[in-house]
Amino acid sequence: MIAVQRTDFVGIYTQDLERAKKFYGETLGLKRNERSSDEWPEFETGNLTILLTSPERTGVEFSPNVGAIALRVPDVAEAMGKLRAAGVQFDFDDVYESPVCHMAFFKDPDGNALMLHHRHAPYSDGSLP
Amino acid sequence: MIGAERVDFIGVPVRDLKRAEEFYGKTLGLERNPNSGERWIEYELGSVTIALISPEAMGPDFEPQPHQMPIALRVPDVEEARRKLEAAGVEFGKASIDSGVCHIAGFTDPDGNAFILHRRYAPYADGTTP
Repeated sequence: MIAVQRTDFVGIYTQDLERAKKFYGETLGLKRNERSSDEWPEFETGNLTILLTSPERTGVEFSPNVGAIALRVPDVAEAMGKLRAAGVQFDFDDVYESPVCHMAFFKDPDGNALMLHHRHAPYSDGSLP
Repeated sequence: MIGAERVDFIGVPVRDLKRAEEFYGKTLGLERNPNSGERWIEYELGSVTIALISPEAMGPDFEPQPHQMPIALRVPDVEEARRKLEAAGVEFGKASIDSGVCHIAGFTDPDGNAFILHRRYAPYADGTTP
């Protein structure tokens, strides 16, 4: 109806821009969009751009996201171990195994929900993600 | 460091799955992922997938809290898309913004999750345009 062409970015609110830059760039190791400024830093996940922004800029009261952004990794348990070693705390002790995927839930330093995700089961049409 | 390859989906918390289906499928006109199920419904936003996180998927005690993070939908013309959505009953809280490089208009889904219509019109510093 309105011809959505793509998602240009998702804006993640942070109360500490420097801390968030370090987390997304160094701890998660996401590539910085070199075109983005230090004031409006963007990170690339492969298909989606994450924009870090602060609540004051858009006049909202900060509250962390509950619906997680699911980062696909080759091996959830291995990535979980690496992030734990870097000081990231996870919501549960173990990898959560659904019948079709592995998941591990965690938060960024502002409390925004993220998850490690890997679907191992094929879809009903037989294809794999 | 952890080998992140892509974002598989963004979870969007909703209270009423039927109402959300109507909104995402009909009002926004997004394509439903045919591989998603009846309780776990996904829609395609071009470059990323959103998954509706509902009581049907999470259990009856699930208390959805809307996200503030704006998911920026690229449209050819922000004002035209805004008019169409307003005619369909979607509420835009504020006036549209011209940031100097892009047009922006913020709205929410029926559960209060934040979205923006977005169109960058200015080229990047290297001369390319999105």
